[in-house]
Amino acid sequence: MTPRAGIAAGAALALAGAVPWLVGPYGLTIALNAAMWVALTVSWSILGGTAAYISLGHVAFYGLGAYVVVTSWQVLPLVVAVPLGGLVAGAFALTIGWPVLRVRGPYFVILTLGIAELVKYAVLNVEAALGASSRLLFGVPDNRTLYLATLGLAVLAIIVAALVRRSRLGAGLVAVREDEVTAETIGVPIGRYKVFAFALSAVIPGMVGGLMALRSAYFEPLQVFNPVISFTIVTMAVVGGAADARGPILGALLLVVVSELLWANAPQGYMIALGVLLIGFVVFAPGGITGALARPRP
Amino acid sequence: MTMDLIASPQLLFSALVLGAGYALVGLGLNLVYGTMRLLNVGHGDLVMLGAYVAFWCFALTGLPPPLAAPLAAALGVLLAEALHRGLLHRLLGAGAERIEANSLLVFFGLSIIVQNLAALAFTASPRALRTLDDVVHVAGVAMTESRIVILLVALAVCGGVLIGLRATVWGLAIKAVIDNGRAAAVVGVDVPRVRRLALWAGFAIAGLAGALLAMVEQIGPFMGFPYTIAAFVVIILGGLGRLGGGVVAGLLLGFVQVYGVALTAPTFSSMLLYGTFVAVLLLRPQGLARAARIRS
Repeated sequence: MTPRAGIAAGAALALAGAVPWLVGPYGLTIALNAAMWVALTVSWSILGGTAAYISLGHVAFYGLGAYVVVTSWQVLPLVVAVPLGGLVAGAFALTIGWPVLRVRGPYFVILTLGIAELVKYAVLNVEAALGASSRLLFGVPDNRTLYLATLGLAVLAIIVAALVRRSRLGAGLVAVREDEVTAETIGVPIGRYKVFAFALSAVIPGMVGGLMALRSAYFEPLQVFNPVISFTIVTMAVVGGAADARGPILGALLLVVVSELLWANAPQGYMIALGVLLIGFVVFAPGGITGALARPRP
Repeated sequence: MTMDLIASPQLLFSALVLGAGYALVGLGLNLVYGTMRLLNVGHGDLVMLGAYVAFWCFALTGLPPPLAAPLAAALGVLLAEALHRGLLHRLLGAGAERIEANSLLVFFGLSIIVQNLAALAFTASPRALRTLDDVVHVAGVAMTESRIVILLVALAVCGGVLIGLRATVWGLAIKAVIDNGRAAAVVGVDVPRVRRLALWAGFAIAGLAGALLAMVEQIGPFMGFPYTIAAFVVIILGGLGRLGGGVVAGLLLGFVQVYGVALTAPTFSSMLLYGTFVAVLLLRPQGLARAARIRS
């Protein structure tokens, strides 16, 4: 990082940290949304951006984290429960990673989508067996606390993703994206790398899910495991440009703005806008905004 | 008691109907994927649109769903053509692997758009058709007329396509393009036209299936996705371009779901569907790619 970029990042962080004291309650909910989507999308890019293994099932990790926090509510303190949610999500990714990451390309994409639905219905069945169709949480932390925690996770995600990109692991994952068979042939331990990156990209979404369960103070499996969350993550990453470290941040912030403009009045309009953006970028600018800026058209 | 349940012809009939529906939906995806390598994750949304065609035809004019089915198929053809002109010619220029990867995200975007447009137009609340629900007893099995219609039409369409692919010039051309597009072009098959025809047929079959299934399923903007998943199970299990194998796979999935639910509880229905899907992909991690590569 150049000194100038360092100063800019420090200033942005200071500003983001001061947000609760600068804006009103509505501004705070937007900031919370922004922090949440940055944390999710940047975490997703740890595998999706480097190796281009596009997971359309990240909501499973988010939902599992939320489920851990909700089921351990008033049993475990939150400083334990939220990280535990992240660990459970990571452990789940690690467990399913070996078989799942053998599936390549577009089949990986639909497989992750199917797994997330499977997890959703599994949790629904468990909840039905327990006789709990939805749960209410009383005495949750206020939005200011949740925002600062989520912002912390977003910063952590950015740091982890940057470290991965600079490491041997990141170079191996990029090699997987460019040519998986060749990468394997020249001795990149692609299996281990992919599984590790998959697990790493699941931990923070698990914790974010836990915090968001506290935010809504309400838990309903269909809501927490809604595939729209995975779809939004992928669209944000594609719009920003997942191959570039800054892309997921840019895409997330941009779409949070679009969401604020549309979501309240026209939730379906927002989903349609997401679909249009996804198609438009895949067809016309597959590198996303950062890709288009880095390589201007001849 | 469990044995009685398993041996019950009633259950067999339910499994056959569900399986035939899956086979029909999968047949459409097989044609599209086989000839164009388009991973249409919006395939189930065509089923949804077909179901709405049947619903509105019945609600507005009293036209029974089996007669609305050709209209739903026609809508499928229209959408196929619009898609072909609007987007696909851009996608199809790239190589096969690129097409697969790009088409998946593009179709996923389209799927979200279509679902939400449907929710805007028809509201998100599910609807149901009550028609052709008289019960007929055949050999001691109680069947509703609607289920008999679904079974017969699905089998007739699957059989007709199967025969058409072997016995007509266009059918043979489609089979040739599925097997090996480049070689088909060399021997004089008009590949772009054949692909377009297959796209029409695939979308039409999905719309038709939706109009039929509207008689037994809840109709809603988000009903399509399970059918997309079922269609993928059918083509991955049955084999690319192997329509006979697809019919067997569709029936198998119907049996897994119906007997699985009978042995557990109705709430396990979705888990059985997605579980089968995940298991099928984990057992065949190359999806259809290897089959396609060996053939091309």
